[in-house]
Amino acid sequence: MGGGGFTMEPDNPALDDFILTLAEARVPRICLLPTASGDGEAQIRQFHATFGARACEPRHISLFRLGSRPVPLRETLLAQDAIYVGGGSMLGLLAVWRALGLDAILRECWQAGVVLAGLSAGAMCWFEWGLTSSLGAPAPAPGLGFLPGSLSVHMDGEPARLPVYRAAVASGALPDGYAADDGVALLFRGTALQEVVTSRPGRRALRVAAGGERALTPRPLARPDRAGPPPEIAEYRRVRALRDR
Amino acid sequence: MEPGNPLLDDYALSLCRRKKPRVCFLPSASGDADHYVVRFYRHFSSDACEPSHVSLFRRDRGPGRVREHLLKQDLIYVGGGSILSLLGVWRAHGIDEDLRAAWRAGVILVGVSAGSLCWFAAGLTAYHHDARPYRGLGLLPHSNAVHYEEEPQRRPAYHAALLSGALPGGYAACDGAALHFVGTELERVVLSRPDARAYRVDAAGGAVVERPLEATYLGERPQIALAAA
Repeated sequence: MGGGGFTMEPDNPALDDFILTLAEARVPRICLLPTASGDGEAQIRQFHATFGARACEPRHISLFRLGSRPVPLRETLLAQDAIYVGGGSMLGLLAVWRALGLDAILRECWQAGVVLAGLSAGAMCWFEWGLTSSLGAPAPAPGLGFLPGSLSVHMDGEPARLPVYRAAVASGALPDGYAADDGVALLFRGTALQEVVTSRPGRRALRVAAGGERALTPRPLARPDRAGPPPEIAEYRRVRALRDR
Repeated sequence: MEPGNPLLDDYALSLCRRKKPRVCFLPSASGDADHYVVRFYRHFSSDACEPSHVSLFRRDRGPGRVREHLLKQDLIYVGGGSILSLLGVWRAHGIDEDLRAAWRAGVILVGVSAGSLCWFAAGLTAYHHDARPYRGLGLLPHSNAVHYEEEPQRRPAYHAALLSGALPGGYAACDGAALHFVGTELERVVLSRPDARAYRVDAAGGAVVERPLEATYLGERPQIALAAA
């Protein structure tokens, strides 16, 4: 996601719901990695507020608090249906993941078919390269490289990024890739782009290559019905509320 | 920054030459936790010093010219948290080099837990059942262990690593004990809790030798009242 989802548009769960539909399980297990925000409490709270009200099993892992709350990382992450990476500092995210061996674990998850999702730093991390503002001005930063090429996010929300991205791709400093507006998500199956979707009409994505540019028109996601959840989800919530008591 | 006990904070401030020292907090090991930053400003109030902090994870408070800022400080205080994350994030941002430069320039470097471990050559991660050696910044050519008697798995893991040669000899500190180095030499050990302890620990001839270090309690000893029954 170029931006969007529960952290940026808490009143519009279209992208978060879209992520849940990608997991095959009826009640998917979804784990937030809030590492890029330094395990920020606001991000964790909003994740649980959003996904706690949906047919899924949400949890999060705070890598900074493993000392006091140990979690078997590999086993826990491999048991998820979806992993959702929050935004923040791309440089910090990758540094912490590498220090703790998450890079190898997440590759295993990806190969095992776990849906990998994220916004901003949590989207760029899957590519070979992203454009980080962790050091102030936007600058290229390496990601995990599961997806070939590069990604630049917040195309509309942070207009300083696109010119830097275009110049870096044109000069060969960054490989060809994509730029995405807030609210736009690129869906890859394996390493192939399958679909571009958006939670907000009128948003766009660009394919940016050294040889030129091409606009990608996202499919608008239906805004979820505001009348309330379908009956089976309401029932699931009641059951979970009883169980958690 | 112990709750209700400013002895070690005051000691660190007393080492600064300036009357109102510039003190910068680096909460990176905690992921720049908000509550930790708040605690710092409560303990290092602007009455006693010129406090600031650098967050590497909060984009609204970007580090800007971090090196310049760090080199202007009298004291840099590194908070606790995850040592591996701390070192990883610092190296990614080049903060390790900035801190080396600050050290050479005479800035006083202080820290608790992971913020103590980082200055030494090496130590052990605290993961339960999976203590692994890591390489610190190496300003101090020793190993370091913290929470030495408070967390029961630390001492045996440290001893085993010293015996196997995975770690060089070094210093172990309990909660409330601070090791004060001048250059790379231990100058003194000070305590914020009267019964806190620190040790020099080495492997010699296939055994671990643990030598308790002489230490000074920084507070007033409680008066012992003689009550006649």
